[in-house]
Amino acid sequence: MIEKFDAIVVGMGSSGGIVAEQLTKSGARVLGLEKGPEYSQEDFEVKADELRYYQRGAIVAGVAVDPVTWRPDEKTQARVLPWSAGALGTDEPLYGLPSIGTGGGTLHWGAAAYRFREADFRMKSAIAERFGHGALPEGSTLADWPISYADLEPYYEKVEHQQGYSGRAGNVDGEFPEGTNPFDVWRRSDYPMPPVTQGPGDLPWVEATKRLGYHPFRQPLAINSQEYKGRPACVNCGFCHGFPCHVKAKSTTQVTSIPAAKATGNLDLRANSRVLRVNRSADGRRVTGVTYVDSADQIHEVEAEIVVLAAYALENVRLMLVSGINKNGQVGQHFQTHNFGWFGSILPEATNPFIGTFNASSAIDDFTSELVPDNDLGVLWGSPIISVTGDLQPIEAYHNMNPSVQKWGLELKHWLRDNYRHMHRMYSQTTNFPYARHYVDLDPSVKDRWGQPAIRITHEWEDHDANSVSLMGRYKEKIAREMGATEFWMDSPRPPYHLSTHDVGVHRMGLDPATSVTDPFGHVHECDGLYAVGGGGFVSYGGYNPNETIQALAYMSAGHLIENLGSTAGRSQAHVA
Amino acid sequence: MSGSASSEDSALLFLNRTEARAVAAFTSELIPSEEGSPGAVEAGVTTYIDRALAGFMRDLQPVYRRGLEALADLAAERFGCSFGEATSAQKRHLIAELDDLGRNEPANFLGQFFRIVREHTIQGFFGDPAYGGNRDTVGWKLVGFPGAQWGYTSEQMQRGVDSRTFPILTVKDLYARIGEAK
Repeated sequence: MIEKFDAIVVGMGSSGGIVAEQLTKSGARVLGLEKGPEYSQEDFEVKADELRYYQRGAIVAGVAVDPVTWRPDEKTQARVLPWSAGALGTDEPLYGLPSIGTGGGTLHWGAAAYRFREADFRMKSAIAERFGHGALPEGSTLADWPISYADLEPYYEKVEHQQGYSGRAGNVDGEFPEGTNPFDVWRRSDYPMPPVTQGPGDLPWVEATKRLGYHPFRQPLAINSQEYKGRPACVNCGFCHGFPCHVKAKSTTQVTSIPAAKATGNLDLRANSRVLRVNRSADGRRVTGVTYVDSADQIHEVEAEIVVLAAYALENVRLMLVSGINKNGQVGQHFQTHNFGWFGSILPEATNPFIGTFNASSAIDDFTSELVPDNDLGVLWGSPIISVTGDLQPIEAYHNMNPSVQKWGLELKHWLRDNYRHMHRMYSQTTNFPYARHYVDLDPSVKDRWGQPAIRITHEWEDHDANSVSLMGRYKEKIAREMGATEFWMDSPRPPYHLSTHDVGVHRMGLDPATSVTDPFGHVHECDGLYAVGGGGFVSYGGYNPNETIQALAYMSAGHLIENLGSTAGRSQAHVA
Repeated sequence: MSGSASSEDSALLFLNRTEARAVAAFTSELIPSEEGSPGAVEAGVTTYIDRALAGFMRDLQPVYRRGLEALADLAAERFGCSFGEATSAQKRHLIAELDDLGRNEPANFLGQFFRIVREHTIQGFFGDPAYGGNRDTVGWKLVGFPGAQWGYTSEQMQRGVDSRTFPILTVKDLYARIGEAK
């Protein structure tokens, strides 16, 4: 007999964990399918191992299991990610797929926790108002979101309090406390915890940016600065970004929503269970369930009237495409990703860059989004500039060293000996406009070990991307000089990677079923009962980290699902032994 | 530096003795030993690479075999001896050439091999000692990295703290501490 549930959630990560928690608490019986393992805290007890997690990617699937291919344009043959596959592939989690297993991408993340700005939701209109209708680059498919910041604000609020975020808000209901971010978006309440302990390398950065007249603020993070909801404060171990947390201080659905969902007794969580396709009614109009394969290669068919795809933007698209869901040709379009614009400096004073988390630091919003100054490079939308002061282990430091230094012999050895403890980094994820020429689809030849086609990315950095990195680079250089940096260097404005774990936009939300994949709640227009949640729904993409918005959207989708499930919840129990 | 330390004092799991000597000689040029300052040889980088090739990196076994042969051929052709037997100046000259190939000719096999061995040398020098390299945490001592710490206090996070005074810990040390706590 085929098992039947009220809802099936595919992926127990950032969104899937939240949706599963909300649905099970409302009384619905939920099947949670996770292609990675189900972790226990003991798995992460000793995780201070750079080789295991950062270099060998122990918590990511890796391109050997989940192949992704890339090509710069349609004329070029796509290859499995050339910057992370092959003999030199290092699996540094910045340029690959996010971690998998219970918690998903919130296991590896650096926990930078930003709300988007009001203007980010109407980027297209705001650019047209300021720069004119013809200002956008040729071929751009930029659009405004169908929802506003005000629509999402209650859910941002929920994320920060439910998932446990720390920071100090700059604009609480029109109050601007001294020393906070004067450009902060309005909100109804402050973060539930103050910022985490600041890394020593952040102090010279804060002083320099203040002297330059900028407005540094402590970054909001999804990391406990004090005990919160039974989880302890961060112990500043410095193995955070790319690593699981050994004390449960980092907010991941592995320690927040998933245990809460399990506690209801309504979650049937099946790990190492990989969904192969979404099943629909004969006319294709209604979802009926999914087919998945377990770790023993057994194939199972399960049924539900609600199926929520929460398996990462790219995997959601792959599942829709292999299931034949793409009537309007929009599934996989508008691929957007982040270019980090890494900038390294050597400071006169020690920064102890291994101490504390990646983001135990500050940022400035002086040039973010609509605040971008008029400029000669044609940059239409700006980015925050972020100081990175912790979490830098020696192998990663080697990967980030000054490229003008000879990387072998005594030159290499002495450079690392003399400079490692003085390294400071900055980055600014730059706005990536959507274009018709940037998309993901099924690779015609590369398949995974289950015989399913790999996802293929077609993307190249455009002039606006490179110019954004260059523009932000000018400010970073000013800051580096003001800090008295003895050496500084910047990444190429057109870096080799085209995947950043910040990949979004590929199942765009919208009100018009002809030009979007889902409605604002993630309901897939062409298939009743099927939802796609996560960053795939983003319509535009500025410079803030995506995850807080992903989680806010997950709460919004869950609320909508519960309303619609009201009459049917519990109905499936009769069918289950 | 004879470069033979690692093949004599620890078991080999994949490389043969000639290959292990070649790896030691080669990686010794990438992170050289100095008076009072250990390099790749003392760190046991060859052991790290050998164990990794027998396990996690087994897909690279043919790359290493082919690369070490090509390196031996090149040294024989240029210097009439093995790479390890060449003079320091000869070795450095050859490595500079391979570095150049690695940066400017991405399709060249020897250039690729150079980049692969360099990556693994860094891993063996700075990775946790549990993987067979970074013996006595010499890599971490060189740069001032305190290793596998459970956490740092807010006092340790103050400005101007000399991190070289922190006792260095390894993954093994952390497991021992957890064991004691229980």
